[in-house]
Amino acid sequence: MSTPTHDPHSGDRPARGTASENPGTSPTNPPGPATGPTPAPPGTDPTNPSPASARGSAGAAHANTAAADMDEPPTGGSFARYFLRKLGGAATSMVLVIVLGFFAFRMLPGDPVLKIAKERPMSPAQIAELRSQYGLDKPVIVQFWDYLVGIVTGDLGESYVYRKSVSALIGEYLGPTLLLTATAAVIAIVLGLWLGQISAWRRNSLFDKLASSTSLIFWSVPTFWLGLILLMIFGGTLQWLPTGGMITPGLDPWSFAGIIDVVKHLILPVVSLVAVVYAQFLMIMRASLLEEMSEDYLTTARAKGLTEDEVRRRHAVPNALLPTVTVVFLHLGGLIAGAVTVEAVFSWPGLGKLTFEAIRGPDLPLLQGTFVVFSAIIIVMNLAADIVYRFLDPRVRRA
Amino acid sequence: MTSHSMRRGWQRCLAGVAALALAGSMATSPAQAATSEAPASENVLRIATDGFIDSFNPFTSFYLVPTNTFRYMYENLVANDAEDGSVTEGLATEWNTDSEGKVWTYTIRPDMKWSDGEPLTADDVAWTYNQMMEKEEMAVANGSLVENFDKVEAPDEGTVRITLKKPQANNPGQEIPVVPEHVWSKVDKPGEFKNDEKSVGSGPFQLESYEANKSIILKANPNFWRGKPKLDEIQYRYYTNSDAQVQAIRSGEVDFITGLTPDQFTALEGADNVELNDGNGRRFNGISINPGVADAEGKEFGTGHEALKDKKVRQAIRAGIDAETLRKQVMQDYAQPATSFIPAVYPNWALKSDNSVISGFDVDRAKRLLDDAGWKEGSDGIREKDGEKLQLRFLTDADIPTEQSTAKFLKPWMKDIGIDLKNESTDADTESERTTKGDYDMYFSGWSINPDPDYQLSINTCGQRPDAEGNGGTSQDGWCNKEFDKLYQAQHVELDQAKRQDLVQKALAIHYEEAPSVTLWYPNQLEAYRSDRFDNFTKQPTDGGAIANQVGYWGYTSVEPVSGEEATSGGMGAGGWIGIAAAVIVVLGGGGWLLSRRKKSDDRE
Repeated sequence: MSTPTHDPHSGDRPARGTASENPGTSPTNPPGPATGPTPAPPGTDPTNPSPASARGSAGAAHANTAAADMDEPPTGGSFARYFLRKLGGAATSMVLVIVLGFFAFRMLPGDPVLKIAKERPMSPAQIAELRSQYGLDKPVIVQFWDYLVGIVTGDLGESYVYRKSVSALIGEYLGPTLLLTATAAVIAIVLGLWLGQISAWRRNSLFDKLASSTSLIFWSVPTFWLGLILLMIFGGTLQWLPTGGMITPGLDPWSFAGIIDVVKHLILPVVSLVAVVYAQFLMIMRASLLEEMSEDYLTTARAKGLTEDEVRRRHAVPNALLPTVTVVFLHLGGLIAGAVTVEAVFSWPGLGKLTFEAIRGPDLPLLQGTFVVFSAIIIVMNLAADIVYRFLDPRVRRA
Repeated sequence: MTSHSMRRGWQRCLAGVAALALAGSMATSPAQAATSEAPASENVLRIATDGFIDSFNPFTSFYLVPTNTFRYMYENLVANDAEDGSVTEGLATEWNTDSEGKVWTYTIRPDMKWSDGEPLTADDVAWTYNQMMEKEEMAVANGSLVENFDKVEAPDEGTVRITLKKPQANNPGQEIPVVPEHVWSKVDKPGEFKNDEKSVGSGPFQLESYEANKSIILKANPNFWRGKPKLDEIQYRYYTNSDAQVQAIRSGEVDFITGLTPDQFTALEGADNVELNDGNGRRFNGISINPGVADAEGKEFGTGHEALKDKKVRQAIRAGIDAETLRKQVMQDYAQPATSFIPAVYPNWALKSDNSVISGFDVDRAKRLLDDAGWKEGSDGIREKDGEKLQLRFLTDADIPTEQSTAKFLKPWMKDIGIDLKNESTDADTESERTTKGDYDMYFSGWSINPDPDYQLSINTCGQRPDAEGNGGTSQDGWCNKEFDKLYQAQHVELDQAKRQDLVQKALAIHYEEAPSVTLWYPNQLEAYRSDRFDNFTKQPTDGGAIANQVGYWGYTSVEPVSGEEATSGGMGAGGWIGIAAAVIVVLGGGGWLLSRRKKSDDRE
């Protein structure tokens, strides 16, 4: 059971100097029980054979035969069949998540109404009134039915605390989270891939050692700790940057001053988020490029008289990008969930903060809603990774 | 691999670093750097908060932040003064009761106005109270306060008459926000009304706007009957964690924070322009002991240890605890010594420390008490009776450091007197579930207490005990004592203040002697404000009390901006430059990278 305060990247760490055995296939656990579809080794989890899981550090494409065999029945599967199979897997995961989302939070100890009523002069009549307002006086099976009907009709119920529909709340808070995670994702991916390819190309140089070890140090640091240290130095002591929030109250976010203000508020959370995740991209890129560097076609390319730079850029890197892209997709979902910690440190008004608040409640409908949405994002990302991979790598298509 | 391309990589890195350093060097020294641009007016008090808000509807919201905000938005019929929380004039200038305390008549101050300029009369008061008495959805937050009301009338514009079902000594006009009838009667579903912009009220400040998890803005009310506050605006800003709040007060982004831990408080001692307030609070912390919880019919439930039903064992536990050492070590002296569950900030009611019933830390006495109770020391030093060992479970919240340290101190102390104490640290939810089910021996408890002791006394009476499912009761310790109940009833209707105080002393003395709980200390509320911007905060109690979370609106209403303050430059501070620099780096970096790609494609080395 992981909670949002759980460090988002403690699930999988790359072994030093090699790509992780299972690069990034356990996406960050969404808050709540770890049901993010964590692909098992190929062949054991038909619902989600992740191509990435088949590539260890020795995972050149031919290591993917197991997965390929499973995805491609001997009769020769069409793309449609492959797609449907993956879609079925994703749908199964989603159904499990929906069922779990309801029962897991109901199994939590404590009674939301009693917790709210704690230390307040409340009469039994008031407590009963609250129970019926929240629909907690109905039998669990009826509550579950209401919840299922709600999900199908896109109604995730009403939050206890905010007294607003959960769907509306999630829509409202998604924007800031996307701004934060998208910015961090772009920077982390660009930085990680760029440093990774240089590191691989100059294996064991000073640059390689510095870049790899620095990224691994940041990777090992707890996000909230790094965030607080940055906050203390740049916010409290130097007073260069704001200590929290997304925009100074009273500013119009679309004015020039407002945009600058948002950028200022973005810097520290983005730096914290990037620092702890870019290592995964660096390591994956480095490992896959090292794979390619021993390939014969590079010798051929050099023989054609291409410069080292050209050999790297035109031949080695595109091939090395194959496994990398998959991992990037898998991590995007995780990044959104990883925002929970960073948002809690920097008071960023996004989905992570909303989840954090929901747990403090406990605001059951809101917890269910954020849980289902986070899980859905990760499942969709997994599916996208599978599909993109098939397009990228002709070997999977048995061309 | 060529040294050339390697150099280029490094050059780009260096360029980035240089740009950042340049941005840094543009920054003026922190002392003058305005982090955020100066507030629109010098007269805005910015407070850090992290509270739940469901709405600003005083009929339905029971969370801490809205409740504290209502105290600034709406005047009550009678207020609790700053000095010691005694009842003082609010909307009413005077009040009297019939001989038994069943009919209360209030005289309303003439010529008062709501913040929108409409007249405020007795009709508004009667309308508000009747809403709560007639409609369930309007009684969600404060229903318990009107439970004893039979009828409320306004015979004329200047008089309110409350007729109670049963007599009571506690003034029934406290703590109920009175709302304007001309606004609320037009609201379609008042139980669902959010009331979160441009509120109309009678208190010193009115809600201007609210953005969830971002800010709450209150503006001064020019029609406040005590006169317009000196502040123009109060701005609550959301900070998710208290460490960020500490940094925000250091950097001057907020002017007031509260609820600091002793460590954070100590860390701020050297900070420039930050004034600290170590305010006596209205909470108590203690150890609740399972006296053999039973439901209102007397049927026992739960898993409490048999030994604890004997009050001698409970008294021995108290005698074995060195509360003074705990207060100094665990609370680092940021707490007041305690007697019973009414804190020292209410000197009229708190159990006097010279009461004959009070006994301190005394290991020998503790051992004697246990011997008397028949628990004899075994070979391993742990006491036994009928072959059963005296092993007790102590439930604590793993997230609260003070509870964990308390448990560490307690274990050896209890071993000294022959009790084997096991600390079971868990999460707050599990703790609350287990304590309502009676599945505990001892747990670390705490309550906030209002100026009138009636409610807290009432939840120590037999009738407040829950049933086995944990429904229906909010008993403080699951304790029941007929003597105590008699005294509770007597003070509940005693209109003579001196006699009532005496009855309350007697009731608290019984609770102390029976020891269903051991009160350890009254924690102080640790606060800090920017003394370079504001002063003249009012504390409650005025002598050594706290500024935030008062029972009333004294804290911020008297605040004045520090005169002769240098206006902070309206220009951009360092942060602004860093923001611009960051944007420039991104643009330049992107452009440079594109350029380098073009150049490299026809690169020949």
